[in-house]
Amino acid sequence: MATQDDDTLTGVVPDADIEPTPAELAHARRFAELVDKTLAGRTPPAMSADDRALLEVATVIRATHGSLELAPSRQRAVVEDALRQAIGASAAGPGAVTPIARARRWQRAPWLVAATTTLVAAAAVLMLWLRPPGSGGHAHIAPVPEEWTSRPTDALVGPIAREHAGDASTRIDTIFADRLDGFRARRLARGARP
Amino acid sequence: MASEPATAVELAEEQRLVEEAQQGNLDAMRPLLERYAQPLYGTVILPRLGDAASAEEVLRDTLATAVEKIRRFTWQGKTIYPWLRQIAINKVYDVHRQSKRSRKLADAMVHEVALESDPESHADAQLMADQERRAHRERIDETMQGLQERYRLAIELRLIQELPREDCAQRLGVTIGTFDVLLFRAVRAFRKQFGERAGLPGTGEP
Repeated sequence: MATQDDDTLTGVVPDADIEPTPAELAHARRFAELVDKTLAGRTPPAMSADDRALLEVATVIRATHGSLELAPSRQRAVVEDALRQAIGASAAGPGAVTPIARARRWQRAPWLVAATTTLVAAAAVLMLWLRPPGSGGHAHIAPVPEEWTSRPTDALVGPIAREHAGDASTRIDTIFADRLDGFRARRLARGARP
Repeated sequence: MASEPATAVELAEEQRLVEEAQQGNLDAMRPLLERYAQPLYGTVILPRLGDAASAEEVLRDTLATAVEKIRRFTWQGKTIYPWLRQIAINKVYDVHRQSKRSRKLADAMVHEVALESDPESHADAQLMADQERRAHRERIDETMQGLQERYRLAIELRLIQELPREDCAQRLGVTIGTFDVLLFRAVRAFRKQFGERAGLPGTGEP
């Protein structure tokens, strides 16, 4: 008895030894290739409704015999998606899954930063307002000998005559000697500490 | 997957996590979802749907619904698994209702589920999963026994042992083309037989 291709799901299934029609042969080959791909974990997304129905049966048989399990990575992704879906967090890409507990902790970070900044600013304003009168202005600076300070060298060198313009070494030696004096004085004043 | 029966310590931990989730920390559900995702997928959802992609979606919806409705769950000194399982079965029903193409197969599954779904009679997730797996397998094996010998062999070699087509054809002493036809007819016959064994009148009729 030959079968018709449109009877795949509802028609009578012929005995094993009955010759197939060319249509059945072609359909059987197509289904065998689908099974091949499914066993390799590459189930095609598009197929006829009849093929899908038969493939479901094949999968039920395989699942019942324990040969189908959810990969650990897929399982983690499904759990993460489910939690995200349930909690209503904003959707993120599957590669950028953030554990929800950590995400929730970080949700408060902007508010913490804002509150801390406001408190510091308020404290600064309060200190300015409460400080004793007259405490502002310049800080008191203790007088120091002139040779300790930075100062111009005009007094040492004086105007440079044109004929002495090339004699820079002498001028440098003069300045160096003067500054060395200042350094010695300062050093001796501190009890030989640098 | 829960590989061993739950101990009292595990049960106490499960209760603590459930209570924590019920108090608002929904992330406390994570270890429970990770523990039960595999048995739900492998023994409850996939054997009833037959499609890995749909099964994954149903699993995700199941877990999400469990998290959303955890406040309604009442702890009765038993694992949360039967509750999760019932949610999963309801989701599978919904998928089958929307999918007329596999309605008869689905009806067969629904018929079976009504007989075995008694959460009160089970205390442990692993025991339930094992029992369910056995029940599915018995049903598949019974259906296989009703098939012609060569059809049974074709399914056994290709779908259960997962041998390559060439090897299957060689074992049966036929060409690959003939084996393809045998497998095709075998799966069709199985599908019809599966529904009929559930007592559904007119299965296989248009």
